[in-house]
Amino acid sequence: MRIKVTKENCTGCRLCQQICTIAHYDEINPKKAAIRIEPQFPEPGIFVPRLCVQCGKCAEACPEDAIEKIDDAYVINREKCTNCHVCVDVCPIGVMFTHADAPTPIKCDLCLKCTEVCNTGALTVISKKSAATK
Amino acid sequence: MDGFGGTILRINLESGEIKRTPTPEDLARGWMGARGFVAKTLYDEVPRDADPLGPENLLIMAPGVMTGAFAPCGSKIGFGCISPATNGHADSNMGGMLGAEVKYAGYDMVVFERVSPEPVYLYIDDDTVELRPAGDYWGMGSLDLEKKMKEDLGEDFQIATIGPAGENGVVFSCITHDFGRQAGRCGVGAVMGSKRLKAIAVRGTKSLPVHDLPAMTKATYDIIQRTKSHPLMEPWQKYGTALFVGWANEHGCFPTKNFQTTYHEHWESISGEKLAEEVLVTHKACFGCWMNCGKYSVAKIPGKPDTYVEGPEYETIALCGGSCGMKDIHHVAYANWLCDNLGLDTMSSGNTIGFAMECFEKGIITKDDLEGHELKWGDIDDFENVVRMIADRRGIGETLSYGTKGAAERLGQNTIAFASQAKGMEFSGYDTRWYWAQLLSYCTSDIGAHHNRSWAITADVQIGQDTPKGKAPVVIYLQHIRPLFDTWCCCRLFWGELDVTPEEHVDTIRQLTGWDVTLEECMQVSEKIWNITRAHYLERNGGPGRQFDVAPARHLDEKIPSGPAEGHAVGRENFEYMLDDYYYNRGWDKQGHPTREVLEILGIPYVADNLEKIGLLGKPFEDGVPKVRGEKLKPKAM
Amino acid sequence: MIVYLKSGGALRERLRPDVDHYTRRLEVDGTPSLKEILDGLEIPLVFVAFAFVNGKFEHLDYRPADGETVTLQPPVAGG
Repeated sequence: MRIKVTKENCTGCRLCQQICTIAHYDEINPKKAAIRIEPQFPEPGIFVPRLCVQCGKCAEACPEDAIEKIDDAYVINREKCTNCHVCVDVCPIGVMFTHADAPTPIKCDLCLKCTEVCNTGALTVISKKSAATK
Repeated sequence: MDGFGGTILRINLESGEIKRTPTPEDLARGWMGARGFVAKTLYDEVPRDADPLGPENLLIMAPGVMTGAFAPCGSKIGFGCISPATNGHADSNMGGMLGAEVKYAGYDMVVFERVSPEPVYLYIDDDTVELRPAGDYWGMGSLDLEKKMKEDLGEDFQIATIGPAGENGVVFSCITHDFGRQAGRCGVGAVMGSKRLKAIAVRGTKSLPVHDLPAMTKATYDIIQRTKSHPLMEPWQKYGTALFVGWANEHGCFPTKNFQTTYHEHWESISGEKLAEEVLVTHKACFGCWMNCGKYSVAKIPGKPDTYVEGPEYETIALCGGSCGMKDIHHVAYANWLCDNLGLDTMSSGNTIGFAMECFEKGIITKDDLEGHELKWGDIDDFENVVRMIADRRGIGETLSYGTKGAAERLGQNTIAFASQAKGMEFSGYDTRWYWAQLLSYCTSDIGAHHNRSWAITADVQIGQDTPKGKAPVVIYLQHIRPLFDTWCCCRLFWGELDVTPEEHVDTIRQLTGWDVTLEECMQVSEKIWNITRAHYLERNGGPGRQFDVAPARHLDEKIPSGPAEGHAVGRENFEYMLDDYYYNRGWDKQGHPTREVLEILGIPYVADNLEKIGLLGKPFEDGVPKVRGEKLKPKAM
Repeated sequence: MIVYLKSGGALRERLRPDVDHYTRRLEVDGTPSLKEILDGLEIPLVFVAFAFVNGKFEHLDYRPADGETVTLQPPVAGG
């Protein structure tokens, strides 16, 4: 499965960022979220959510083998990661994020909590067989 | 201290000195943030004869206890000062993203003192706090400047700006943020401009300290899932506040042509539905809000550039729309953009320009005053001409820049009779002649006429529209519970529209801070704030208080000439009845002066001492101070 | 025919919901308008700002179809 982004529906509320950091760091801190929202204002006046699409290039590049495939997601192993940031540089779409206080780079691990709180259908879950579920 | 950023900044704009102090716990618990912090600080520190546009006024920016929390909309931030419109306490709340950013940078209040010798902007990046030169920015439009600063500093920064109107001291200038959210009322933009502070830029990357995060997460998560399927979620997401335009017209409270009447025959062409059909670009949310009532729109008018802005809200549709006789939603959206970019409150601007249109209709303002232009109802070019003159304070714009009361005083010819304002601040988007509780609400509001203090129209509907009885206690209750949201800094629409209870909000605060706080305690904090801002107003303006709690003649005496509310007016006797009832139920005296008894109950006896020194301490009515001040509206029996 | 009415706040209480927390199920004769239905329930029209059906505004002279769900918006407290 994967997270489908429908950017036309995003209103920029940042609930996804709040729940992401609560789930992964026991903190409220949108700057540590694995999803970023890019507002494009004043024109065209839309929000673009950006998060990992699980392409796996970070796992290939990691010199410590610290990025592991668990079901459909590539997940950073906090014990093995040395915070070297090679993965940040190789990410082809720039969705491996960093924060000074985080022990490792930050990426989506498909916990799906953001899709549970999103109230506009901007973030939904799609199974591999392309049947949309929510 | 859980729930709070932890630091208060004091910035002396004259010397450039920046002081940091830890946020005191008794301030946090006793006054809870934003409006509360502003009320206490202004009362304790601003000299009573300070000129609102002079160096002794303070401009305060403060989030509240709930700002930045994972809660039903912890999005707000408050701005406060002495208002140049009313010469009293002022606070104005703003949604968007700024509040959370300030909290995540670690700040609970920023106090701007004195005046900068040169234009500056405040730059905050977590612990880095700097005043940076803003000479190149001076003169720019609010929205234009935000765009530039986002390009220069990056999207991570949240930006608030003033426009030329604030630089020039128009008494209803605002502070703008997030391409169309405002701290709109009370002239906070003018005070910011008087200090040569052009903008504020903030990035905060710290975590919010929370006492019990698992409990707060579960409680909010459950509220999210429950409200997602609330019947009113969908219309609110789709239309926002504009959904009220129809009811306001069909039930006779929609300001039409400067409140000459209360039904606008073209209302359907400026309704929420029209907005969604014709100008809507995207739905836009404030921080942490899943109701996304904000509407970002584009106005397309032949011969003018396309303009983008968040809005128009109900208030803008009522005041720049109905009160100016507009017939086209694109014109209203364009008027919204004009006001926002010039840095003017759309509400006071619409109201003041409608007032000016009536003056033009009556020949009191002429083409000569308008540099050869006219000022016809519903004409967007005429609107544009005069709003730019106001922002520049040029010609008749100088007179109008004082708002309707100030303009009426300067124009004479009994124009004050049709100035819909209280204490120098313009009515918001509701005519009151069939909604008497709403008139009482406007005329007793501490900041001048603003419904956000107490939206009492439902009280009139539930209790009965043609009676003054039973209105005052409900208005008082609303004046405690509604501004509580401006103190907590969460949006009141979850409570107002989606059945999230105040008790649930208090639970959030408990989970956030670890305080064993109750709703009763919070309501008492709100009542305390109400009394201190009243005392502050009296100490600055003198007495008797009753002379200031007055209503415009149009609303008292002039019967509505047409539409569903035809024939109604409040009547002076009815207003005086409600005012007496109000003072009694507040524990004040017959002149509207707080009594020692009530100030002691609220824990601020020093305010009683101050009032006593100037002869404005009230003596209670014969049967004393009521134990319960304010009464929740009970819907009519079914 | 059957009509479902839903709302929030005090208006919801007046509807006396019976299907779930928000929804009242009504059996009506003929094809009455919302005005007529509300009169039948003795709910003054002033307590209803507008109706919302299938994602759009409707006025109170709207006649619901069999099985339709109508959301009723009370006068708003916002601004």
